[in-house]
Amino acid sequence: MQKKYRTKFPVARIKKIMQLDEDVGKVAQATPVLISKALELFMQALIDESVAQTRAAGGKRVHAGHMKQAILITDQFDFLRETVQDVEDAPVGAAASRGGGRSRKTAAAAAAAAGEDGSDEAAEEVAAAPATKKRALRRKKLAAEEAA
Amino acid sequence: MSSSDLAGGIDEDLSLPKATVTKLVNEMLPDDISCAKETRDLLIDCCVEFIHLVSSEANEVCEKDSRKTIGPEHVITALQRLGFEDYIAEVRDSWDEHKESQKEREKRGKRMEKTGMTDEEMARAQEEMFAQARLRMQQSSQPNQ
Repeated sequence: MQKKYRTKFPVARIKKIMQLDEDVGKVAQATPVLISKALELFMQALIDESVAQTRAAGGKRVHAGHMKQAILITDQFDFLRETVQDVEDAPVGAAASRGGGRSRKTAAAAAAAAGEDGSDEAAEEVAAAPATKKRALRRKKLAAEEAA
Repeated sequence: MSSSDLAGGIDEDLSLPKATVTKLVNEMLPDDISCAKETRDLLIDCCVEFIHLVSSEANEVCEKDSRKTIGPEHVITALQRLGFEDYIAEVRDSWDEHKESQKEREKRGKRMEKTGMTDEEMARAQEEMFAQARLRMQQSSQPNQ
């Protein structure tokens, strides 16, 4: 078993964050432990993709814009599109779009990255991963709760 | 720690500790690359979103399973449904490790039971050891020999 990292997420904190969701009730003791591991893998993946953007732009420092770009072109990170909406694009150069790597639907990912405003909607529809639909449902629910 | 944490209220600003995330980021970055502070903050937001994403999905899996408690299998199914199948193998490994450490803890507990001391006796014994250690520290910081 690889013990790659010395630092660990606080498991109790993860459980508290989970329970911010009103729908989430009881949580088995092992559950936040698994989520912690998944989170670790997710973080590494996001960092890897962001670093790729940094390098493509010829930089040595990962800026928020690099992370935003990584998110926009990676299917697995569709659920983060709203989170990075207001993030400024990184200043330097054409960040290369990655067709392979973690993109599940390569064609859609390439289209979304290279496409201008026109093709964006089409690309979005094709690339709508289940995660995006979940986010949309949550948003509607929160909006309804706020209105109430 | 926020004050609402201590009061037992719900803190909507609940997030992951910056220091922990910073340490992890530094372990994960290649040696020649650094990370801007604003990027780390964005990363924290993404992590919290990820937790919500997986929790929400796992909760639905749990409900369909007619269970009241979200368990590890629900998390694994959730990861699959969300397109993170490539995480599942390692997540299962961490579950196995956790089960092992729980067994170890139980064994240790049973060993403690064997000493024949009650919880109060053990607490008293511990206090004595602390007191002795404190004494030793005081003596060593006053080398007036």
